[in-house]
Amino acid sequence: MKILIVDDFSTMRRIIKNLLRDLGFNNTTEADDGLTALPILQAGGIDFLVTDWNMPGMQGIDLLKAVRADKNLASMPVLMVTAETKREQIITAAQAGVNGYIVKPFTAATLKEKIDKIFERIDAQ
Amino acid sequence: MDFSQKAQQLEAARALVIALEADQEEQAQIQLGILTQSQESDLFHQVGKLTRELHEALNNFNIDSRLIDLTENEIPNTRERLNYVITTTEEAAHKTLGFIDLSLPLTSKLKQITEKFDSSWHRFRIEESDTDKFREFKKEIESYLPEVQQHSDQIHKNLSDMMLVQGYQDLTGQVISQVISLVEEVESNLVRLVQVSSQHLEHKQKDNKPVDPIKAEGPQINAENKPNVVNNQDEVDDLLSSLGF
Repeated sequence: MKILIVDDFSTMRRIIKNLLRDLGFNNTTEADDGLTALPILQAGGIDFLVTDWNMPGMQGIDLLKAVRADKNLASMPVLMVTAETKREQIITAAQAGVNGYIVKPFTAATLKEKIDKIFERIDAQ
Repeated sequence: MDFSQKAQQLEAARALVIALEADQEEQAQIQLGILTQSQESDLFHQVGKLTRELHEALNNFNIDSRLIDLTENEIPNTRERLNYVITTTEEAAHKTLGFIDLSLPLTSKLKQITEKFDSSWHRFRIEESDTDKFREFKKEIESYLPEVQQHSDQIHKNLSDMMLVQGYQDLTGQVISQVISLVEEVESNLVRLVQVSSQHLEHKQKDNKPVDPIKAEGPQINAENKPNVVNNQDEVDDLLSSLGF
């Protein structure tokens, strides 16, 4: 399982990477916004996307929409990890097809819970 | 033009007509002089008023020359200061994460050693009378003790280093306080400028530009006072499950 972590802050990428490693996901790669993430996703080999919302270039919500609009990527599980907490934003992300929504600051337990839930749902399909 | 000026002008105008009709050229010139003088004095009055207003406006701009200084020097300086805050906090976070990366494997090793001790101790207790087993256990303890001490020392050092790295808060805190003072100064200058200019400008209606409801805003300040904002992960989960997700 290869995971792409997208966040404009390198410290947050590192925190997510370390937490994922503790959860047994050792194969991760990184991008600092949607514009750099999209070619990595399109090149193939990524199984799971963890993305921030507020980033320069292409924002996380637009990356999510681009992923859902690409027939090769449309079914990819997407977890949003963000400081954006407006109800309209959460609803928009849900309508755009996000699989999980975590608000910053978050705990390791929350990350595990949301990832477990995403995979439970995928396995159930 | 006040009442007496008007009366004076009317009188001069009538006298001018009479003088012209009577071909009294000298008298006509005098009356014409009175009429023009009155008009000129009105013009001078208006020019004087404009000059005073211009003078006041220029004075107000002098008061607000601090605004020019703020724009030219302080704000670029503040941009540098805020970039310093980003760089410093980023460096501190990476250093802290680095010490955590160094410490976590050490705690795992200590855990492994403790588990080994625990199982040896358990075996020894079952076979209490066996002196050979005791010797073996003693040897095992002796071989691991230096490693335990070394790892504990290293973890202690890493934690102390992590503590020192937290000094960034003092530095960035000072910079942020300076920026807050600057923002307050800019605010009070702008308020004064608005007060001065609003005397000459018509009060414009507030722009009713459409607001993008999903525009990224970063962390919400005073979130508890905003009804359209969730306060924690539980509220996110509740909202999503209410939508059937």
